[in-house]
Amino acid sequence: MPESDDPLVTPRATGGRAPDVFRPGGWTPMRCYPENDEVDFAIVGSGAGGGTLACKLAEYGFSVVALDAGPYWRPLEDFASDEREQAKLYWTDERIVDGENPLQLGPNNSGKSVGGSTVHFAMVSLRFRPEWFKSRTTLGYGADWPLDWREMWDYYREVEEALTISGPVNYPWGPKRPRYPYRPHELNAPALVLAQGCEALGIAWTPTPIATVSAPRGQSPPCVYRGMCVIGCSTNAKQSVLVTWLPRALKAGAEIRDLAMVGRVEHDDAGRVTGVHYHREGRWRFQKAKNVVVAGYAIETPRLLLNSASGKFPHGLANSSGLVGKNLMVQANQAVWGLMDREIRSYKAPPSLALTEHWNYCDDGKDFFGGYAYMSQGPLPVVWSGVLASKRGLWGEPLLDQMENYNHQVGLKMVGEFMPQERNRVTLAEERDQYGLSVARVTYSWCDNDRRMIRHALGFMRQALEAVKARDIFDEANDTCHLNGTARMGDDPATSVVDADCRTWDIPNLWICDGSVFPTVGGVNPSLTIQAIACRTADRIRAMARRGEL
Amino acid sequence: MSDRYPGYDVLAKRDTPSWNDQTRRVVERRLAIDPDAHAFFDEAQWATLRAVCESIVPQPKDRACPAPLAAMVDAKLKANEGDGYRDARLPRQDEAWPLGLRAIEAEAQTRFSAPFHELDGARRDEILRDLHEDRPRSDAWGGMSPKLFFETLLLHDIVGAYYAHPHAWNEIGYGGPASPRGYVRLNTDRRDPWEAAEAKPGRAEEARRENARVG
Amino acid sequence: MTTTVRPETQEVGTTFARGEPPVAAVADRGRGRRPRLKSVESRAAEQRAGRTVHLGAGVLALSVLADSALEHYRGSFHNKAMFAPLVSSTLSLATNAPAAFGARAPLPVLDAVQGAAAVTGAAGLGFHAYNISKRPSGLSWLNLFYAAPIGAPFALALSGFFGRCAVRLARDSKTLFGWPAGRFLAATVAGGLLGTAGEAGLLHFRGAYHDPFMVLPVTVPPVAAGLLGAAALKPSPGLRKAARVSLMATAALGVAGVGFHLFGVSRNMGGFRNLSQNLLNGPPVPAPPSFLGLAAIGLAALALMDANDE
Repeated sequence: MPESDDPLVTPRATGGRAPDVFRPGGWTPMRCYPENDEVDFAIVGSGAGGGTLACKLAEYGFSVVALDAGPYWRPLEDFASDEREQAKLYWTDERIVDGENPLQLGPNNSGKSVGGSTVHFAMVSLRFRPEWFKSRTTLGYGADWPLDWREMWDYYREVEEALTISGPVNYPWGPKRPRYPYRPHELNAPALVLAQGCEALGIAWTPTPIATVSAPRGQSPPCVYRGMCVIGCSTNAKQSVLVTWLPRALKAGAEIRDLAMVGRVEHDDAGRVTGVHYHREGRWRFQKAKNVVVAGYAIETPRLLLNSASGKFPHGLANSSGLVGKNLMVQANQAVWGLMDREIRSYKAPPSLALTEHWNYCDDGKDFFGGYAYMSQGPLPVVWSGVLASKRGLWGEPLLDQMENYNHQVGLKMVGEFMPQERNRVTLAEERDQYGLSVARVTYSWCDNDRRMIRHALGFMRQALEAVKARDIFDEANDTCHLNGTARMGDDPATSVVDADCRTWDIPNLWICDGSVFPTVGGVNPSLTIQAIACRTADRIRAMARRGEL
Repeated sequence: MSDRYPGYDVLAKRDTPSWNDQTRRVVERRLAIDPDAHAFFDEAQWATLRAVCESIVPQPKDRACPAPLAAMVDAKLKANEGDGYRDARLPRQDEAWPLGLRAIEAEAQTRFSAPFHELDGARRDEILRDLHEDRPRSDAWGGMSPKLFFETLLLHDIVGAYYAHPHAWNEIGYGGPASPRGYVRLNTDRRDPWEAAEAKPGRAEEARRENARVG
Repeated sequence: MTTTVRPETQEVGTTFARGEPPVAAVADRGRGRRPRLKSVESRAAEQRAGRTVHLGAGVLALSVLADSALEHYRGSFHNKAMFAPLVSSTLSLATNAPAAFGARAPLPVLDAVQGAAAVTGAAGLGFHAYNISKRPSGLSWLNLFYAAPIGAPFALALSGFFGRCAVRLARDSKTLFGWPAGRFLAATVAGGLLGTAGEAGLLHFRGAYHDPFMVLPVTVPPVAAGLLGAAALKPSPGLRKAARVSLMATAALGVAGVGFHLFGVSRNMGGFRNLSQNLLNGPPVPAPPSFLGLAAIGLAALALMDANDE
């Protein structure tokens, strides 16, 4: 094994060991499975879906290999306090975006790391509003999930415990939930501004339930409030999949293969999958598996399924419904910004320390379906300069002058529920990437409901800033976040790709366990729900195995 | 541009707990970039690029070592570093940038019969403003939208390079690198002694004294 | 050592304010007993108890000095009044410390300084309550956790209060504010212990009791408070003995707490290398000794109860 390694070039999880992310230079033993061994589960992707599932299945005694295209980071040593350097966390391979409202990908929503996008996510950990699991039936839009919110309530609890979520003692909305494991963080100035704005407008707010610890936990020190969460936490206070589920997975006998890009899922003549072709250390390899789980998030998952097309499955795997890649949903991420006379210095502490879910639970006076939350923000300089330049159109002296107000800037950013539309989709483009695989084309257009929600939110957030006497208020009208929906869950094979257990209808030993399975996207960040689904899926798989149904 | 944070230097914290080894390596590499090095653009494009950078980010003339924005953009393209997505209406960045720079040159010739880098600030700004508002006068753009190129590539890359540089961090009073030491005082109107002190009207000396103590 | 039995005269207590009636008459009030002849041992015990109260008050003052200095420094002394507890606790410490070793400042000076500490502490409670109430969500868990700590000025008020008690004991070791001295002291210390335990409990709740040892300050001192309070109500050697043991445990906890908090500081990112952050963010190192101070005063109370045969 090379002594000085570049995790972007040389795999670290090899030879019976994987990095111990808590000890600089440390290793933890890792069980390795020969490629010709038919492992129980080969999981493509080790993020919120794949990493969680790998852990649970390994703990239930299954043999698991999780393959991730990304590097195996050692946060304590690899993560610098620098935005430009830390772009290494994002998916920077080519994708084409089009449609009426082309998406901005990369740092917004696409990670490429062992631990997936949770290595760079903002840690906001919210539960779905229960009615959203039956959006169609209870609220009249979208589609129903084939899941019961009461069952999900327990799985949310399991994930909150596993991530030691630091949250408020009492949560203002929704049915009763158990107390978060750790207490909320102190509010930073932008969060205080959000709180003051909400109180002025007479709506509730809360400290955000967030996946970074407010007290020591195991080997994680409490958050130091360096504010660089979305460019990678260098202290391991952030409870990403990399520092929570994966160490458990390794302990339970799972193997993780980093820098392993899966290019194709193989199947036999009977139409059952047999394993995955993946590229690692310079050549293509094949891992045999009894079951394959695709968990590459909502662009790579359909891309892989489509790229795995064959004579038997000319439209890609698990695509008899024709819905693989369709119903892509992002969430509205528009913001309103302003200047305060007081010093805000929003670069300190996690970006979203306070939020309101008022418009997720209150439907009065809405001219749109769905809901949105909004939260405080703390953009770092490069990102902020991008907002002022590319979005607000400033350059030259006016840009430099406005950037000097950095420490007085304050903002409110929404996470809003866009509607599922089949025309929003992931397809294969003509271009090929460095592995020779067809690149994804991501097509997105807003619908009228989306636009009405955005208008409502921008108007309301503006009022909230006016109420605290912010000035020079402007809208950031085009931003989106997260990715969901491209392999939706349902109870009818004609209108969905997987069932409630994340098992594809077409191929009984092919599973999809990530944000792709969401039939609707809700007005909250998806990570908690993705992990809860993974926990549930693991339980279902165990039950099925016991009954011989696997 | 005013001196909001007189005397503040993020680099003064280089050997404090605010910086760690990996951060020092990264920032030092950035500070060591040769401002004249260009491995991607040809000489003509390079001249245009440098002039464009001066207009987009007019750094103070008396700055000893201006942030090497053109070199940073050039290096980015040479390494083909991207954000991982391309608007379908734009060619790939390694085609779009040279095309855009040639087209900007063509704009200068069409309007003023002079190379872009020989124009004065006002004329350069006029061209750039027109491109930003999608009013090209030359047909060297081909099918590429000047506005789209301007917003998503030109501004994004040049401005992004500047605000990744310690000079810019000092200008805006950004705390800079922060690991293992983060921040203690999170409330409004509070700063840790290792953060930048803002000069209040008429009290610049006070801020300068505070900033001299930052470390 | 010879034991001389002396009638209770002005010699009881070596100093008292001019013009005050003989102590014996004062001690008579509320007890309905004839003044007892006191032994030298008994008087020595009283003086020791008095000095111990000064010592306890001094330890409280020291804890307040260090703690308020750290926390108000963290608060950037944004309100000039935040210097007050530093000044007051310094004066309180400066007067209590020598008094603990027998070298007392003139009683009026002592009394004034202690009174000022008590008043400053009380004012601090008001300031802190205001700080909590003016933040969004007012009196909420979030603000109890992170705004000015609601109970912290209490320690200064206690330091001043007990300092004043010590001054009064110098003049009259039998009664305090009209109550039997030992039992009054025991009852007030019990209250002080409960309040301090409450403050520790609140902040340990903020820390989610992530370490099992964090339950100690919400169990040991309340037990001591309960026993001390019971001993104040019911004269029983058994209770006093139990109270004594629990107070020693509380005192030990006050010392061990510093160690635990230092460990907590070291567990933060960067440990002791990152002291400029971790000393301020981490568990407050100067806070636990307030248990030591209170325990000392509680032990003095028990000694007084014995010496005064309460």
